[in-house]
Amino acid sequence: MLKIEKFLLTFAAIASLGILFVLAPIIALFIALDPSTLYKTWIADPLLSSQARDALLLTLEAAFASSLVLTIIGIPLSYFLTRYSFRGKNIVEAIIDIPLMIPHAVAGIMIILAYGRRGLLGPFLSLIGIRIEDSFWGIVATMMFVSFPIMIDTLKLGYLSIDESIELVARSMGANRLNTFVKITLPLLVPSIVAGFLLSWARAVSEVGAILIVAYYPKSINILVFEWFNTYGLKYAVSLSFVLVLFSLIVFILLKTVVRK
Amino acid sequence: MIEIKDLYVKLGDFILRIDSLTIQENEYLVVMGPSGVGKTVFLYTLAGFIKPKRGMIKYNNIDLTMEPPEKRGFAIIPQDYGLFPHMTVYENIAFGLIIRKTDRRKIDELVRKYAEIMEITHLLNRKPDTLSGGEKQRVALARALIIKPRIILLDEPFSSLDPTLRVKMIEFLKKLRKQLRFTAIHVTHDIVEALELADRIAYIHKGELKGVYTPLEFVNTLYAKPYMNELALVYRRLKQLRIGDIDII
Repeated sequence: MLKIEKFLLTFAAIASLGILFVLAPIIALFIALDPSTLYKTWIADPLLSSQARDALLLTLEAAFASSLVLTIIGIPLSYFLTRYSFRGKNIVEAIIDIPLMIPHAVAGIMIILAYGRRGLLGPFLSLIGIRIEDSFWGIVATMMFVSFPIMIDTLKLGYLSIDESIELVARSMGANRLNTFVKITLPLLVPSIVAGFLLSWARAVSEVGAILIVAYYPKSINILVFEWFNTYGLKYAVSLSFVLVLFSLIVFILLKTVVRK
Repeated sequence: MIEIKDLYVKLGDFILRIDSLTIQENEYLVVMGPSGVGKTVFLYTLAGFIKPKRGMIKYNNIDLTMEPPEKRGFAIIPQDYGLFPHMTVYENIAFGLIIRKTDRRKIDELVRKYAEIMEITHLLNRKPDTLSGGEKQRVALARALIIKPRIILLDEPFSSLDPTLRVKMIEFLKKLRKQLRFTAIHVTHDIVEALELADRIAYIHKGELKGVYTPLEFVNTLYAKPYMNELALVYRRLKQLRIGDIDII
């Protein structure tokens, strides 16, 4: 009995240290926050507040667009990766996880090389009127690239949690592949779609390194934090960061509620 | 009538061969054999989920070998029943009819009729995760039978039930057969299920159909020996304990 208690005590102590490690910077940020600067940057000062609000809105919109496109791509891609075996599947899965492994600045360079005006596929994008450098779509593309593995891996886990035998039953009952997907698989996948959307949205909002290279303008909130830190100092950067952290907290509380359901 | 000819299935190193097998209308065929000999592969090949390398599956002279599962009219009940967890029992039973775009009033009438036959009317608004094993089994049967399939494919349907429930379900299925008359292939490695339910028993061993027998013929084959030895052991012990006739409770 005593041994078990010691075991639990050790684990609890290590776990608490872990929580403290993450919590300390958040608390520090809240302590460093100067309410008058917060008021000034978000409401009182017309120039700063419009910059801050525009940047926040742009970031939220770009992250939303990025997660939306990733959801549309992720649903069929994860379907194939979990429901079928094919030659080269391991390679495809490794390619999907590449954004997890490379430094963010490198990711930015790779995006410019692939989709930039003089990049591999740039001319094709120009034909349909999409420019990557210093544009909204540049931010979206960068966010998509860095969030890609998170969306795919979350959806893959979702598909794997759905018992394949129920899809087979549905088909033997007369439902074709599409009907089976719409009536059986998709409703059961919804929690994973929501989780994937929120996780990739959060990852997109947090990106700065790659965006810095691909699209410094229009300024997203994380670029603005970086810029204000250099120009106006810590106080101003903190008041921007505070709102971002608040948003992240709300998103993750939402996520945990969905997952629990 | 279902005819299977020269069926050859290859899955990695595993090979399943069925030279010739015919299942008559309203026949109840039990497929027996030890674990891992290809009984389930056989069932899923019939259902259209595994493509054979060669061979033919025909229903009343219509070649179904290359037809997708949804066009075969072969309703499968997997080992874990495969109930749709996000639907109520009512929606589960109605699924096949909704897919067939059956009139709503007709669906309601049929769902209630089959629920009554299966003695599950009181469960219609429940979700599958709140049901017992036996109840799930009845819902799965109702869902399969309501579409009047050409054949119903049961993959070890009683394997997860406790002995009391298993005996009850065997009795129930026998009653159901008399009432609804349907063609079925029932995969099991349980001799009691086979002897109680089968019109004929097909024995598969190491991926090959060894023969098709009446229950009486089967118990006299070498294949039945291990199963019969098990029964004999129980019988001998009961005799030692001087227990006379046993009734089903």
